[in-house]
Amino acid sequence: MTAQIISGKEVAEKIRAELQPRVEKLKASGVTPGLAAVILGEDPGALSYLKGIAKGCEAVGVMTETFTLPEDATQEQLEKQVIDLNNDSRFHGIIIQRPLPKHLNENAVLRLLATEKDVDCLSPLSMAKLVMREPGGFAPCTPSAVAELLDRYNVTIDGKRVVVVGGAGNIGRTVGIILLNRWATVILCDYKTTNPAEEYQRAEILVSCVGRAKMVTADMISPGTVIIDVGVSRGEDGKMSGDVDFEPVSEIAGMITPVPGGVGAVTTTILLAHTVEAAERAQ
Amino acid sequence: MATILDGRETSAKIKEELKQRIAALGGKGVRPGLAGVLVGEDPGSASYIKLKEKAAEGLGIHSSMVRLPAEISQQQLLEKIDQLNRDGAVHGIFLQLPLPAHLDENAALKAVLPGKDVDGFHPENVGKAWMGEEAFLPATPLGIDEIVRRYGYELAGRRVVIVNVDNLVGKPLASMWAQESVGAVVTLCPPTQPNLLHFTRDADILVVAVDKPGFITADMVKNGVIAIDFGANYLPDPTTGKERLVGDLDFDGLLAVAEAITPVPGGIGPMTVTMLMLSTVRAAELAAGLA
Repeated sequence: MTAQIISGKEVAEKIRAELQPRVEKLKASGVTPGLAAVILGEDPGALSYLKGIAKGCEAVGVMTETFTLPEDATQEQLEKQVIDLNNDSRFHGIIIQRPLPKHLNENAVLRLLATEKDVDCLSPLSMAKLVMREPGGFAPCTPSAVAELLDRYNVTIDGKRVVVVGGAGNIGRTVGIILLNRWATVILCDYKTTNPAEEYQRAEILVSCVGRAKMVTADMISPGTVIIDVGVSRGEDGKMSGDVDFEPVSEIAGMITPVPGGVGAVTTTILLAHTVEAAERAQ
Repeated sequence: MATILDGRETSAKIKEELKQRIAALGGKGVRPGLAGVLVGEDPGSASYIKLKEKAAEGLGIHSSMVRLPAEISQQQLLEKIDQLNRDGAVHGIFLQLPLPAHLDENAALKAVLPGKDVDGFHPENVGKAWMGEEAFLPATPLGIDEIVRRYGYELAGRRVVIVNVDNLVGKPLASMWAQESVGAVVTLCPPTQPNLLHFTRDADILVVAVDKPGFITADMVKNGVIAIDFGANYLPDPTTGKERLVGDLDFDGLLAVAEAITPVPGGIGPMTVTMLMLSTVRAAELAAGLA
């Protein structure tokens, strides 16, 4: 048996198609959803990430603008920038490049972000809303993408045994809370756990968030398991790879996301969806 | 026979250690200060705040318990909190919950300065804890962590199953133990899980807080489990007819199969007040640059 492929690309296309009429409706009432990105310096990685976001924004009609501060910007400059954007009604979503340079107090900056504009859940105050199941905030985009993919492929979450590989890391723990909020029983595994197969084999849904190429192998997986691969790294062959050894595992699993074309293909679209939703909520 | 994890004894030990830390603070001219706010005259809350006051005084922590009339307005309450926030002699602040219904509890909790929020209820502390950053944590998960570690039980490589997913116990405990530095496999299990048995039987360390007396029986756990009970159920005693406190574990049944077990009462309960003192001392140390 071969696993059904959970295509992040297709889900992203669907979400974008659904966003277009919502954006049109907003525009008809005089509101263009806007996303502001704050970066420090000209890190090439950050710039190419933002380029991808700008392309996505353009495709669905979200306005976007990048605010570039010098690499040696002071705490005050950065905090002022965030406060200005909080107060700028053109922008419904704000993202800030991280990690911030060491001379800055990252926490103090992030906690200033207005919760209703914190579309990637960067602030601990937004995270608290997620943990305490309070409305008004947004979940971080990557873990949100996991739930979105499961929903779009009609995988039930309620009551399921979900194993999170790398569950002791920040992304994994947050995937855990999102699925727990949907009444899954969540098993947060440290990736160094001694008998991984014992845990992984009993998973109904397995989400891997480590970033170690092909660490989840076919002998660790049971037939029928739904596998969401969040990890991205370069394998020994230099190619981009997920945490899951895709070819052999896809012979056993029930459903599986590829890398690339899985979770990563959806996260930017989730960011757009959150921005549009923030604009709708602001109305 | 299982080892009884004695919360009273462990508490007493921790208090002895706290006295030394408080003495060290004294050497720097700092006396830790704890302020509590009680609104109204609910007898349960009144006796609980009294316990905290006594514990603080017994350790030499400066305690200022503020008792406000039940009909106080939200504005007056917030002003009181603000005053405590600005008081340099106060390192820790807690609100004795629940507040009377006309007051906005959430807004009041948010008004406490996160750096003085020794109960760990401010959203900034909740969020930071889940993001793996330093934060104040609620007393119950702290007490559970302390008692397990002080009896020498390893968490690394162990399967921990937490049957409770609320904001005061399950989630903060998971945020503490689902860390790479701890190395445990942590299961957060909603009590509604249809195959609960499959999870409880897996546990090397089982934490239960569902408030159902005798809910976890010996056949639901594996031999050698470390069983932690934070259930609070009041049942009439068959002989005296008086109410008595029992936990969620079938205590007598588990005694025979468990490696260790917390009793109710005398287990996690007595730890919680001590954990509030510990957090207060830590807050003072942070303020004094000692931590």
